[in-house]
Amino acid sequence: MKARACTAALLILTAGAAFGGDAEFDRIVKAIESRYGTKPVHIPFMGVANFVVNVARPEGASGFKLAVFEGLRDLNSAGDPSEWRERDRFMDTLPGPNLHPLVRVHSRHDGEATYIFMGPPSKSHKSTRVLIATFERNEATVIEVQANIDTLLKSLEEPAHAGRTLRE
Amino acid sequence: MKIATIALAAAMLPAWAQEIKLPVNLDALADKADEAVSVTMDKSMLQLAARFLNDRDDDEADVRKLIAGLDGIYVRSFEFKHEGEYSMADVEAVRSQFPSPAWGRLVGVRSKRGDNVDVYFKDGGNGQLGGIVVIAAEPRELTIVNIIGTLDPQRLVDLGGEFGIPRFERSRTHKEAR
Repeated sequence: MKARACTAALLILTAGAAFGGDAEFDRIVKAIESRYGTKPVHIPFMGVANFVVNVARPEGASGFKLAVFEGLRDLNSAGDPSEWRERDRFMDTLPGPNLHPLVRVHSRHDGEATYIFMGPPSKSHKSTRVLIATFERNEATVIEVQANIDTLLKSLEEPAHAGRTLRE
Repeated sequence: MKIATIALAAAMLPAWAQEIKLPVNLDALADKADEAVSVTMDKSMLQLAARFLNDRDDDEADVRKLIAGLDGIYVRSFEFKHEGEYSMADVEAVRSQFPSPAWGRLVGVRSKRGDNVDVYFKDGGNGQLGGIVVIAAEPRELTIVNIIGTLDPQRLVDLGGEFGIPRFERSRTHKEAR
């Protein structure tokens, strides 16, 4: 029991260290919930995954938050440009002062739209917070990672694939 | 010339908003495009990127010096499924946003394969450029790059391949510039 409590505390601290005081992820998730009338899918063992990422990839993604949505209301025609524009306007309203829009990709071919926002750098200026929101058909994923800036800059060499590069 | 998928988000800075209007048909282009990409690098992001570039690496040191004087880089690109899905009139609407004498054309490349590149510059005084717009039109891709700030024209090539900007072939760019 004591070991379990220690593990839980460690997981909470691990996640908290990467995103201390950051409410923007939660705010954006709430906004998507509200706009599209759905709740994020519960992902079991998310804290464990976060812990593993922290341990396994200290130079890359040092932690992450993830929200997956299914059955988004009013989002059934991913290739419709008017829907793109409406979603662009919605996404433009989401970032607070600490998140800057960096890349936006609309792919009619994949029926996918990706929005990448960049947060302030870490104290060492070696990594930065990156939030990636992806919409596909009636599903959406929001990921926040503490990414190596070198990785981020490299991803901009092929901006159309930046979202995929940063997620992998 | 390899053109990555990209184009311009003008009107991001108030000063430029007065000079370069987002062409009304850019939305129309987005509607027709199979893929539309937008990259926004404002001054704070460029400063962050500059801090991370390694001074001991010659290429990175060049880019670092280059972006020190920049206020922003904005790229928009459209990729089309088939040739002919956008017209030269669409491109002209973008080109017409850069009238002389404020803007001059530095490079104009017309290829038989349909790869057309225009580089427009604004005089920044003291032999420096005050801003650059690159319009790269291929049969299935249209890319517009808007670079805001002061930069040395000789170093424009160094920005190719960075921040979503298409790579420039050094030989052709210099030849045309002369």
